Amino acid sequence: MSGPTSRLATRALGALLAFAATVGLAASCGGGGGSEDSGEPIKIGISLPLTGEFSQPGTAAKQGYQVWAETINSQGGLLGRQVELDIKDDASDQNTVVADYNALISRDQVDLLMGTFSSLLNLPASAVAERNQMLYVEPAGGAPEMFTRGFQYLFFAQQATADHQGDLFVDYILGLPEKDRPQTAAYPSIDDPFAIPVIDSIKAKLEDAGIKTVYEDIYPPSTSNFDSIASAVKSADPDLIAHGAVFDDGIGFIRALSKVGFQPRYFFETSAPSGAEQFSNGVGIKNTEAIFYAVSHTPEAKTPGNEDFVAAFREKFGGLPAEDAADAFAVGQVLQTAVEEVGSIDDQAALADYLRNNQVETILGPLEWDDTGAPQGQFLIGQWQDGKAEVILPEEAATTDTIIDRRPGSD
Amino acid sequence: MTELIQTIAFGLLVGGVYALLASGLTLIFGVMNVINIAHGAFLILAAFLTFSLWSWLGIDPLAAIVITTPVMLAFGWLIYELTVRPIRRAPPSSSVLLTFGLALVLEAVMGLIWGNQSHSARPSYFTESFHISGIVLPKAQVYACGLAAVVLACLWLFLARSWTGRAIRAAAVNPSGAELVGIDIVRVSALTFAIGVGTVGAGGALVSVLYPFLPGSHYIWIARLLGIIVLGGMGSLRGALIGALLLGLAETFTQTYVSAQWATAVPYAVIFIVLLVRPHGIVGMRLREDVAA
Repeated sequence: MSGPTSRLATRALGALLAFAATVGLAASCGGGGGSEDSGEPIKIGISLPLTGEFSQPGTAAKQGYQVWAETINSQGGLLGRQVELDIKDDASDQNTVVADYNALISRDQVDLLMGTFSSLLNLPASAVAERNQMLYVEPAGGAPEMFTRGFQYLFFAQQATADHQGDLFVDYILGLPEKDRPQTAAYPSIDDPFAIPVIDSIKAKLEDAGIKTVYEDIYPPSTSNFDSIASAVKSADPDLIAHGAVFDDGIGFIRALSKVGFQPRYFFETSAPSGAEQFSNGVGIKNTEAIFYAVSHTPEAKTPGNEDFVAAFREKFGGLPAEDAADAFAVGQVLQTAVEEVGSIDDQAALADYLRNNQVETILGPLEWDDTGAPQGQFLIGQWQDGKAEVILPEEAATTDTIIDRRPGSD
Repeated sequence: MTELIQTIAFGLLVGGVYALLASGLTLIFGVMNVINIAHGAFLILAAFLTFSLWSWLGIDPLAAIVITTPVMLAFGWLIYELTVRPIRRAPPSSSVLLTFGLALVLEAVMGLIWGNQSHSARPSYFTESFHISGIVLPKAQVYACGLAAVVLACLWLFLARSWTGRAIRAAAVNPSGAELVGIDIVRVSALTFAIGVGTVGAGGALVSVLYPFLPGSHYIWIARLLGIIVLGGMGSLRGALIGALLLGLAETFTQTYVSAQWATAVPYAVIFIVLLVRPHGIVGMRLREDVAA
């Protein structure tokens, strides 16, 4: 051959060789994790709400992931390889979080995934992981509906799902002497897939025990004025308020209660009070007194690795870690245990099988899951006392013997 | 009866603050035909500045208005010269895109400086209230609403009585005519944009006391403020005041008498109904563009 035909053939051959080389390179580099002794870092993909509505807990979760990565890298890495986090910002948006995890899997070809924050974002994000058959351990996202979809790769790295968050608090209330037991209760809640099941569960149990519901309402996440809601709650005059909150709304509602001059004897709130100094700075120290909340972690816990985590966090970011940071760190521990026990990151189904069949030690305590990936433990119950967040229940994890049974300013 | 009066009081106190926050947005649109999507981000920036003045220097957040207002005014002028002026003659959609981009950049910068975490100023009165015959009037709301009224009154006096204010109004009503009588439209636009952003210097100070905020909070605010000026009539200061008070009352009445769940939907349904009857808003001027053309 000669002339144009020859040149065409040469170009075609060149293109074929280039394609073959590309395919070969791709096969040797990527896809599902590569070999353990490649020496290259293990890339872990994460999307978090670093801006937008959930940026408060999202930022804390990022800190927890970072502390875990630095800790494991300083110990020689995972399977002898350094860990590299690829963290994207989903701006608290369900569409963006889906795009992020798709990009992490398809374009960035990460080896492993870690979950995002809130049930709202984990609902679609976990579906992306499931579709790609990748293990998805999430630090938040305890809404019961997360675990009714028959997913095989989803695991929640806290002690229990949302509908069990208030169990110990309810037990405490129902165990009070008759004279101290509340007769009436109010249940305001944000429209959030995590907060609502917590409050619904508490309400159902208290109603069964004869505690009358005098107020219940759900407000949209965009609510910023709580004075009218607080005023309506005040008019209902409940002995107990169980408030479903995320963060800013939790602060806004507590401030509004103070403004309208009403305090119930018992006040339980989801999520916000576990925000450490961020919470007390928001409502003011004196307004934190006697607030009950469910929590997965306490800096004082004697769980394996907790002391080191708290110290590492304090060194890197200053202050005490918020609950969301600890939950993210626990996700790292769960992932680490599964990978080390299985001995590979190639078979994600094997990692999921390991977690389904074994208990994992974390800074939150031992975690274990049922077939749906729902955890089978029990939350801690905390209470703000004298400007400090204490664990009061269960007794074996309590950091104090005192439980304050009357909020200051209540009748 | 007490509940009704209480609900009206809450609605007016909230609406009064909304009016100040929306005034700059409507002013900028009236004069420049620019829908400033970054207005909410400017508001949150002013709230962060106030928070810093309060937490670092101990300056009362409401007193900080005397600092934040001129700072935001200067910032507004700078933003106008750097970004808005070059697209002055472009279609309105360009200014929407530009200011949306500005909002995103500001959100990111605020996140870098202050962190993406919740903030709120807590002066001594932040949870205190006046109690008058069973009616609760939160002190922070009362002070904020009073200050909003003072700032709005000053703004109105400036627009109605000063030569520069008249020039701004002339530019809003008929830019071509204003130019013909010697008004420098570019300078007036720059001044208007700066004043519009300056008003959120005061508004941000109020927000910092009344509501927890973080960099991403601007989305909620811009949606609410756009609703107010559309309801009142885009470009009208009086319309912004009426729209803000109506929205404030609609929010609190819905929370009290319907359900908190509807507190977002009902006010926007009211806007929808008003626009069906008066597409140019309650006091909007329907023929302004025809006159200017």
